Amino acid sequence: MTASAAGSLEPEIARLIVESLHLEMTEDEIDPDAPLFGEGLGLDSIDALELALSISRNYGLELKSDDERNHRIFASLRDLARHIEEFRTK
Amino acid sequence: MSIRRPELRCDGLRCDGSRGRALASAVYDPLVPLIGRPSHEIVFRRPDGDVTAGTFLADARHLAAGLPEATHVVNLCQDRYCFALAFAAGLLRGQVSLLSSDRSLDRLRGMAAAYPGVYALSDEPDVAGPLPQHPVARVAHPGSADLDCPAIRATQLAAVVFTSGSTGEPVAHRKPWGALVARSRDAGRRFRMGAGQPASIVGTVPAQHMYGFETTVLLPLHAPASSWCGPAFFPRDMRAALEAVPDRRILVTTPLQIRALLQAAAALPALDRVISATAPLYADLAAEAERRWRTEVHEIFGATEVGSIASRRTVAGEVWTAYPRVRLHASRTRTGEEGMLVTGPFAEPYPLSDLVERLDGVRFRLLGRRTDVVKLGGRRTSLAGLNHILTSIEGVSDGMFVAPDDLEARPTARLLAFVVAPGLTAQSVMAALRGRVDPVFLPRRVVQVDALPRNATGKLPEQALAALRARLDEG
Repeated sequence: MTASAAGSLEPEIARLIVESLHLEMTEDEIDPDAPLFGEGLGLDSIDALELALSISRNYGLELKSDDERNHRIFASLRDLARHIEEFRTK
Repeated sequence: MSIRRPELRCDGLRCDGSRGRALASAVYDPLVPLIGRPSHEIVFRRPDGDVTAGTFLADARHLAAGLPEATHVVNLCQDRYCFALAFAAGLLRGQVSLLSSDRSLDRLRGMAAAYPGVYALSDEPDVAGPLPQHPVARVAHPGSADLDCPAIRATQLAAVVFTSGSTGEPVAHRKPWGALVARSRDAGRRFRMGAGQPASIVGTVPAQHMYGFETTVLLPLHAPASSWCGPAFFPRDMRAALEAVPDRRILVTTPLQIRALLQAAAALPALDRVISATAPLYADLAAEAERRWRTEVHEIFGATEVGSIASRRTVAGEVWTAYPRVRLHASRTRTGEEGMLVTGPFAEPYPLSDLVERLDGVRFRLLGRRTDVVKLGGRRTSLAGLNHILTSIEGVSDGMFVAPDDLEARPTARLLAFVVAPGLTAQSVMAALRGRVDPVFLPRRVVQVDALPRNATGKLPEQALAALRARLDEG
């Protein structure tokens, strides 16, 4: 997988986040390197579940918790896009 | 007041009611074992192997021996097994476990100030902020076949669980060991865990949450059940967890996760039952789950203050039935509304904060929540408390949190805040709220207004608020 391939998915995932969570912002306002949870976008665990459903519908990829710690792939938009790019089935 | 004397019947012994309540609380203080299970039975199931009661006790004793001297300990463990170990080790050392879903720096500082000498137990490095941190590792020790189980006084304070109060300050709820154990045994009976082979609980709720603490940590110690200690958050996790445990599976979860699991649409192994709590479960969702998974869906009614007290099968109707030894007493609230006082073994009598219609000593209907309390992600907070935090931000002259009507029903619904803060931006108000407010209660939107439509007494009439919100929807 090339870096540009993951990069191309970022705007699409940003749109998915904004639309599926009804965020009061536009997709280009999401900093790709800022944390999605806590200090950055301020999402919470309910959002994570909702987002997981949207990702599964759109990319055929079922998210699972990291064995060590939940939500690591949600670290940032970039991490999430990279993860989806790597494991998507549609 | 028409409060009847709470029943003081306790395990194996009836307290003498004629000698009054003082006798029961002052004298009746039996020893209650740490674990009420045979040593060879499985109490926890980790992805790397099953843990018997004997091994769990050996692990807990090992951890307890190395703990620092203290009166209170904050349990920050994320892994369910580590959490259970940390709790048991604290109990063995007479240390009270402080449980808080809110792990913000502000909250950790608050606990450090309120409990001098407190430290934290955690399975992750550097998460305790200002508190000294002691590690909890997942090392399995060979358990002895002979479970020489230590016992703890029923009145010993085992845990303190926090909720947000109306002043914005957290309120501590005390959990004596005897009350926790009595309630676990009751839950085991209510959900027929003693019938046939032991139940395999797969819990999706954090152990720091009262519901998760009771159903996934305490229950397996005192009812014939094991509790899964691997990931179980996303639908795929839940499915994998259910596949990893043996028959008589009980999924202990929330309405949001039931919905997510139904939408994920994959087949599940046979489910003995599904238990839901933290938010109302709608009957159509419960019916869909019962049909798809060929199981029964039950809801637990409870609150952090009082724990789990009643249950119902959602599709069977709206009447809740109290746990075996829980009793409901008619009372009135300070504002004169019909209320209910809840009693149970070793538990302090608790006036329920929800609006209920009491049918008899064990059955009731839920009419609604008091308007100050909002609930999201299984956590409750007080709007007055949030408003207090909002208006104490420098530069905010007035402000108010507002909850949408469908807050509990719509997964993406969140709070909204109106502020009067001419010198601040919405972003800077948000930044000030972070770290002071549990993330789930952060407003999804901060709306700047010139003034709030307060009436002569300083209150915000419902209609004025509705008008403000309507204007927002248009614009």
